[in-house]
Amino acid sequence: MINELLLQFAQYLEAQEYSQMLVSGYYSWNWLEATHVLTLMISIGSLFIIDFRMLGWVLPGVSATTIADRLHKPMIIGFVIMFITGILLVYAKPVENVQSLWFRIKMILLVLAFINAWVFNSRMRAADGTWESARVAPKALRTGAIISLSLWCGVVAMGRFIPYDWVDCPKVSNTALLWASGCVEQLNAL
Amino acid sequence: MLSNFLSNYRSVAGLIFVVLAIVLVEFFEVRTSVYPSLLPFFEWLKYSSWIGYLGITYGSIYATIQAVHLISMAIIGGTVLVTDLRLLGVLLKDIPSETITKGTHQCFKYSLSVAIATGIFCAAGVADKVYYMSVFWIKMLALLVGSCFMFFIKQPLLNSRSHSEIDPWILRILAVASITIWFTVAATGRWIGFS
Repeated sequence: MINELLLQFAQYLEAQEYSQMLVSGYYSWNWLEATHVLTLMISIGSLFIIDFRMLGWVLPGVSATTIADRLHKPMIIGFVIMFITGILLVYAKPVENVQSLWFRIKMILLVLAFINAWVFNSRMRAADGTWESARVAPKALRTGAIISLSLWCGVVAMGRFIPYDWVDCPKVSNTALLWASGCVEQLNAL
Repeated sequence: MLSNFLSNYRSVAGLIFVVLAIVLVEFFEVRTSVYPSLLPFFEWLKYSSWIGYLGITYGSIYATIQAVHLISMAIIGGTVLVTDLRLLGVLLKDIPSETITKGTHQCFKYSLSVAIATGIFCAAGVADKVYYMSVFWIKMLALLVGSCFMFFIKQPLLNSRSHSEIDPWILRILAVASITIWFTVAATGRWIGFS
């Protein structure tokens, strides 16, 4: 049911003039994708510096909360640009993305990464300041940093896998994989 | 007297030597004569080396290594932006720029090593294509310039004395040059995929 609804919505988007314009314009697509990937350096670059500081791998002499606080703004700017370009990229090829297993896993990882970021932020604000000048953050924050690093590495990897066709609908015969990828036509044909 | 002069202006002399060497390489057409002789190496890299074999045969390994390459580039970007925006007085203004420069350099070095290692793997899988792409060679040149700039100009200068003793405009020029070079490396890398 959910797969049918998603596919119908994707087909509605794909029929729109602007969607076709984005994908047919050589430079519009390339500029969008390039901006999406290059903004990784601002968003994930800043995020990883914060996580590395929690683990004591960079700037161990600087207060961890100061680093997190000061890099928050550039990180958010980076993520906002990534989301805008990301939404436009999906809008340009909605059916392809909705039926991509990698895209679906990427979205799940993104949600998990944001839940982790929210928990991490709350824990950091709730913790007393005694550890601030310590080389490494308390265990709970270190765990949060490792989860954050793993989830974002997963997001980048899934994003990189989307253009590959290993598990595209016509190539898959496993029912569970077809359902997970949202291959409605192939599932109906079974 | 000459040795005394050279020891005082070692970095400047080194830079002049590099620029002179590039001019001579172009003047005597060394680059154009070396370029065709590199083709057998690129063909060997794709069809005969084990990394080329892995890249061609296992798409999943190739894509995973590409993801690692992207992540290492993101970390390079993060360290470069944090350091250079601090030098420009945009970020982390309440922390001494010496602390930021020293505290992120190790991370930059590790990320650059990973980016180069994974980059060689990525290039090996499509070596016969990238050989003919001018954007690939621009990326290689930018990477070389960026690495030389970082290890022979920027870091030695920033570590040589307190940053308050360095002309603020020199610091700003260093930061802008660094951001520009590393942005070029990343942007040309992305453009290889479109070519």
